[in-house]
Amino acid sequence: MMRIEVLALAVLVGVATWAFRSLPMRFDLSGLRPEGGLSRLLGATGPAAIAALFVASILPLVAGGQGLPFWGGSAAVIALWLWRRSVVLATLGGALAFGLLSLV
Amino acid sequence: MTDQPSTFWGGLGAAVPVALGYFPIAFSFGVAATRAGFSPAEAMVFSTVMYSGAGQFLGITLVSGGVPLLVSVITLVAMALRHVIYGPTVLKAAGADARTRFAPFWGFWLTDEVFGAALGELARGQRFSERFMAGLGFGAWAAWGSGTLLGALAGGGALAAYPAVEAGLGFMLPALFLALLLSILSRAQVPVIAVAGLVTTGVTLAGSPTAGILLGMLAGALAGLARKGAA
Repeated sequence: MMRIEVLALAVLVGVATWAFRSLPMRFDLSGLRPEGGLSRLLGATGPAAIAALFVASILPLVAGGQGLPFWGGSAAVIALWLWRRSVVLATLGGALAFGLLSLV
Repeated sequence: MTDQPSTFWGGLGAAVPVALGYFPIAFSFGVAATRAGFSPAEAMVFSTVMYSGAGQFLGITLVSGGVPLLVSVITLVAMALRHVIYGPTVLKAAGADARTRFAPFWGFWLTDEVFGAALGELARGQRFSERFMAGLGFGAWAAWGSGTLLGALAGGGALAAYPAVEAGLGFMLPALFLALLLSILSRAQVPVIAVAGLVTTGVTLAGSPTAGILLGMLAGALAGLARKGAA
């Protein structure tokens, strides 16, 4: 089974992601002034998007009375990130800490 | 490794730590996708074509929540914008060895972790080559795809015997976002992050989580544009 909207979403986002990852190496962006408007907008969009998504993803947890697992899981993510600087390790460790604390 | 330092196989070897981390996250993505009503084929299209962990987890939420396709695309594309600096940063670290002939090919595999692993290898004296980058990228992508396939085939009930792991699935996405946020955090981005977070919270609490995400992103990006001086 393959829904058309799932396929369309994967292909459209996949093409955009490919373009973001590959094309800046073709077009020399080093000439882009770091203090220029486009540089600032490009530089801010990623962090803004991730911050918005992080907040949106935690609001239901906090509102749903999962405060302890949330704070414990978040602390584990931050501690593991500071320790190893690995996104993968911090994610897995944070999720495991959340899981363990939600059983308490 | 000093005579043949920069082969495809060398890159594949450097991918092992990334692959070991990717596999369980991809497995849990496969399980979560199945639970949200995705078929194994749909989960695999997400993992192989979209190939962006945070985007995929959010994508299954958006699709199962009935969010309009255009809104989902805008949200996920805005999230993916962070990748634009990865390629040029790796090339800068590669110095005189930098080549881009096959960049459209291996560039697709430049995820957050592959980018981090590439920078780490180059900092430890690894010489850059496009073959090495292809091996590193392919290894991570293959682990992501195979983990997804096994998770999707195992199905939604696969983790019932492991309640802590199953409960942890609910925090996989927030944990991934938080880790990504930490990885790109700089002093210049603090106002951007604060504005995006506050606007998202306000609009979401006022009743619309989808509008909250979009307006939060927009407000944060504009806060970055409005900022004078430092990059």
